[in-house]
Amino acid sequence: MDKHSEQVPPGKAMSMEQHMLDKGAQMLQSLTPINQMSQHACTFALYSHDMSRQIETHHYVSRLNQDVLQCAVYDSDNAHARLIGVEYIVSDTIFESLPPDEQKLWHSHAYEIKSGLWVNPRIPEMVVKPELKNLAKTYGKFWCTWQTDRGDKLPMGPPTLMMSPQGVSMGLVRPDLVAARDARYNISTAAMKSGRTELAEPEWINPQADYWKQHGKGFVVDVQPVEMKKIAPFP
Amino acid sequence: MEGVNVSTHPQVPGEPTQTATALLEKATATIQGFGPITKIHQHLCAFHFYGDDMTRQVEAHHFCAHQNDEFRQCLIYDRPGEDGRLIGLEYLVSEELFLTLPDDEKRFWHSHEYEVKSGVLFMPGVPGPIQRQDLDKVAKTYGKVIHFWQVDRGDNLPLGIPQVMMALTRDGQLYDNLAQDVEKRYKVSFAKESENRASMKGPVHGIHPMANGGGRGLKTVLKEVECKTAESMARVFV
Repeated sequence: MDKHSEQVPPGKAMSMEQHMLDKGAQMLQSLTPINQMSQHACTFALYSHDMSRQIETHHYVSRLNQDVLQCAVYDSDNAHARLIGVEYIVSDTIFESLPPDEQKLWHSHAYEIKSGLWVNPRIPEMVVKPELKNLAKTYGKFWCTWQTDRGDKLPMGPPTLMMSPQGVSMGLVRPDLVAARDARYNISTAAMKSGRTELAEPEWINPQADYWKQHGKGFVVDVQPVEMKKIAPFP
Repeated sequence: MEGVNVSTHPQVPGEPTQTATALLEKATATIQGFGPITKIHQHLCAFHFYGDDMTRQVEAHHFCAHQNDEFRQCLIYDRPGEDGRLIGLEYLVSEELFLTLPDDEKRFWHSHEYEVKSGVLFMPGVPGPIQRQDLDKVAKTYGKVIHFWQVDRGDNLPLGIPQVMMALTRDGQLYDNLAQDVEKRYKVSFAKESENRASMKGPVHGIHPMANGGGRGLKTVLKEVECKTAESMARVFV
């Protein structure tokens, strides 16, 4: 069952007054950065510290330039989807310029693209092929801020680092997750995969990415109480 | 006091977008429905500072969607133009929802009463009387902000780990030059607007002592952990 599309955060329904206020603001304000979003991609992600926890993700992507993309990530594509995080995507050229300590937070995209897991819903494959060719060579850094998969009604805890699906061991995505997605969009990930066999595999995937593959380690973010550097009392 | 002006807007490395790519994206944007994005209805401007360092202050442009009357989710950009960097996100909850959170979680959340009443938080382009109807509600809410991209230190890419951000809670915290820069750009006066908001009220039960970091600074640290594998899971049950 598609449980994630039925969960809504707790709270009273929107009042008519609030609807009017929102409509009014929308008419008066330009929302320019939001209008830059140019594609919707559906794929999967795995928690870096526990790759048995896997989620379906919906990326709304905007482009800063040919080499850098920024994505707002939601847990579904419906209007009430929950905003669960942010992913940044960079070309291999930019990735190679990052310091090694930074690189270990990133994941590669080649498998995700080649395996058909990354799809652009409602867009014919042939239209997105050129973009997929670019994406196969990119790396991503995805921070999840709302662990809806464990049933969190509200965003709880520090952000978590997410990894991409990979073709080996812990990186494999659960077949039931893929089947549910495929059924919803009436697509076949397997067919996508065979249609993408001719997409060139990157010649080199930096082993500092997908850190778990080489090191068997994941990452967590801890939050510690410290003395704040201040210019006035707080709070 | 002077703060770094974030409108320095470090240049992101990379080639200009190719025409073919731009055309392709125009096409996909037209065909695809952008479900949750179409719910974004509101632009709020305010400032955040780092949970462990008030001297680092960032102008934050929030683009918000309501999930219901008690919950909003916002994307945060460093500027409101076409080249705005998505630097973070914020969740806003009603006082009632906030009070359901465990105490350990409450410290991540900041109060909005001062930000609203000081006039610093505002909706660009929206007439005062209209925005005040909504801000009257915002004043009673709590927010959780995470930034991923430290533009204020000149990062031209999103480097490092996420940061828990806090917001203004009293006079004397915000750098004058950052305030004046925004006031000039948006032709607003925080002081004058704060008079219009004098009668607004914060949370009914007062600002919770566990909010705003529980009175401490908050610092994020990265820890390497053993990957939980299918084998290690199995061992637990042997």
